[in-house]
Amino acid sequence: MKKVALITLAALVGFGFMFEGETLTIKGSDTMVILAQRWAEVYMSKHQGVTIQVTGGGSGTGISALINGTTDICNSSRPMKKSEKEKLKQRFSTLGVEIKAAKDGLAIYVNETSPVKELTIAQLKGIYTGRITNWKDVGGADVKIILYGRENNSGTYVYFKDNVLEGEDYSSTMQSMPGTAAVVNAIAKDKFGIGYGGAAYGKGIKFVKVKRDANSAGYEPTAESVKNGDYPITRYLYMYTRSKPSGVMKDFIDWTLSQEGQDIVGKVGYFPVR
Amino acid sequence: MRKIIYLFVVFMLCHVRTLAQDTTATPTKEDLGEVKGALEGVNETVTELKNTVDALKKIKISGYIQAQFQAADSAGTSSFAGGDFAKNVRSRFQVRRGRFKINYDNDLSQYVLEVDVSQSGVAIKDAYIWLKEPWLRSFALTTGAFYRPFGYEVLHSHSVIETPEFARAIQTLLPGERDIGAQIEFTPEEGPISNFNFRAGFFNGVLNTANENDRNKDFIGRLGFQLPFQEENLAIDGGLSLYDGKVASNSKFVYSFGPTAPVKQYVVDSLASNVGGSYGRTYYGADLQLYYDIPTIGGATLRGEYIAGQQPGTAASNSFYNPGATVTPLYVRNFTGWYVNYIQNIGVKNQLVIKYDFFDPNSDVDGNDIGAPNSNFTIGDIKYSTFGLGWIYHWDANIKFLAYYDFVTNESVNPAVSGTLAPFREDVKDNVLTLRMQYKF
Repeated sequence: MKKVALITLAALVGFGFMFEGETLTIKGSDTMVILAQRWAEVYMSKHQGVTIQVTGGGSGTGISALINGTTDICNSSRPMKKSEKEKLKQRFSTLGVEIKAAKDGLAIYVNETSPVKELTIAQLKGIYTGRITNWKDVGGADVKIILYGRENNSGTYVYFKDNVLEGEDYSSTMQSMPGTAAVVNAIAKDKFGIGYGGAAYGKGIKFVKVKRDANSAGYEPTAESVKNGDYPITRYLYMYTRSKPSGVMKDFIDWTLSQEGQDIVGKVGYFPVR
Repeated sequence: MRKIIYLFVVFMLCHVRTLAQDTTATPTKEDLGEVKGALEGVNETVTELKNTVDALKKIKISGYIQAQFQAADSAGTSSFAGGDFAKNVRSRFQVRRGRFKINYDNDLSQYVLEVDVSQSGVAIKDAYIWLKEPWLRSFALTTGAFYRPFGYEVLHSHSVIETPEFARAIQTLLPGERDIGAQIEFTPEEGPISNFNFRAGFFNGVLNTANENDRNKDFIGRLGFQLPFQEENLAIDGGLSLYDGKVASNSKFVYSFGPTAPVKQYVVDSLASNVGGSYGRTYYGADLQLYYDIPTIGGATLRGEYIAGQQPGTAASNSFYNPGATVTPLYVRNFTGWYVNYIQNIGVKNQLVIKYDFFDPNSDVDGNDIGAPNSNFTIGDIKYSTFGLGWIYHWDANIKFLAYYDFVTNESVNPAVSGTLAPFREDVKDNVLTLRMQYKF
């Protein structure tokens, strides 16, 4: 019996090492997809033989993939929750490694014909919780506000809810879009729409200046306002790994934080951390 | 569902466009009004559909099946590795667990129902309501049938625990893992005390599938801590637990260990007033988990749990006394149990599992006392240790394979013994090999 057990264990151990792969996979935040793809393209062009696969799906999806062991690196536009770290610890006995890869000013978009130029955080909260439903209440025309936002597996959705809505629920009239590009496209076609998303996506629409309160100055998410902390809705964009990176993964992450990697951050429309 | 909404919107827009193309003249105010009306109709429909989809998103369905093959050292052996083997049976296929869980997650409140389907039938596992207060979002109330807040293992699903079964002490003291009761928890997400958590409540003290059988409610509670040391790739978690309960005797015969000489034995108290009397079921527990990320190899966990206390049982069993059963003398034992479990992740897909567990159901006696002439100790007083060695291979996010071998050792009883204790004069052949496949979603 003991011999059978030992043979079985040995067979499973051998089987377990048959399919270990080398390809680097990156999954997660839709906000970071363009940035991650640019990083991957440039890195692969300089490192023949290295394959980096980048997919989106949202920060929540990426974190689940990290916990399930189906991605090497998770991109997330929000910090990992305590409960998610707990699951990672349970499965892999690690706490995860957090890398602040870029900064983002979470932009507020409106149609380029909209007369509204600036909004306070309180007004944004009122709009997205459904307490303010007409543009005339915030300096616009007498028309209904059409809300666009992200789905709940998105880090942007969570960040906006936690930091602008202060944990309150979104209005049930908000239309959930599958990605930031979809939010931008919808608002470009909707004169009465409002949406939020990464500053890198702000093309074809206009940004609203955001004020901390009624007496503060309003700022657009520019490199300077984000760097200085003047822009009120600023966040880090993260990469997460299960363990301390090594090998190709470490080299890639070190490179994204290098001058060359951070230059790409700026070119894509986000803001470097260094 | 999103695709259906999009298709519906596209269809409606095409329909509107077709209507517009029917007139060759410049659109009139009426035409525009019609289009606007149609769009508003679409918008209302989409909003209604979205509300439906959002409600459906709150329903979370999960589950897992554990199918396994087991082979024992001898036929008909008693086992804590998935239940006793039937007479003359040395190997078997089993659906060890077939769980199906529905959770309606309304953010600050939850409805949870979980059933277990196996060759033994269908049994309720979880059936509880969870409510979190909206102000601090730190306190929550749970009522129904759910995990007892004691120690580490019993609070974790069998789908994530690396060994096939919980330690012998856990299975004996907290069978079924769950009970029916009400619990308050304090689990702060942020702030200086977010590294601490507390769960405590009152329970029937029976099982999650049985009715209360006496007048006593049992207190169960755990104070836990989690200390992450991010820079050192280290985390230390742990907790202290208390089970403070009572059982009522349905017999006037109550046995307890007495300092008798020259032979250790139980002494009996047979006062008629013992019927209906309450006897303490008291466990003190401490658990500790160390997590360390070993560079290039993978994370490792060293986990241990220690429980000691007093268990009211019967002559033949050290499981808790059930006054709902037929009239049976009550035996009070002092016990000690502990385990140490080491898990080494090797890469993403492989895990090495080593476990040693120990359970002494009667810490007042040793092997030589059991079966000694004129003693009255039983099979329920024998201590066991189990060394387990296993390997887990994670096929993908859903499927994992486990091969695990339990080396079970019982203490040797007095050589002079005869009868049912005779086989325990030496180590009984009851090692078990488990080959398991699990699918979890």
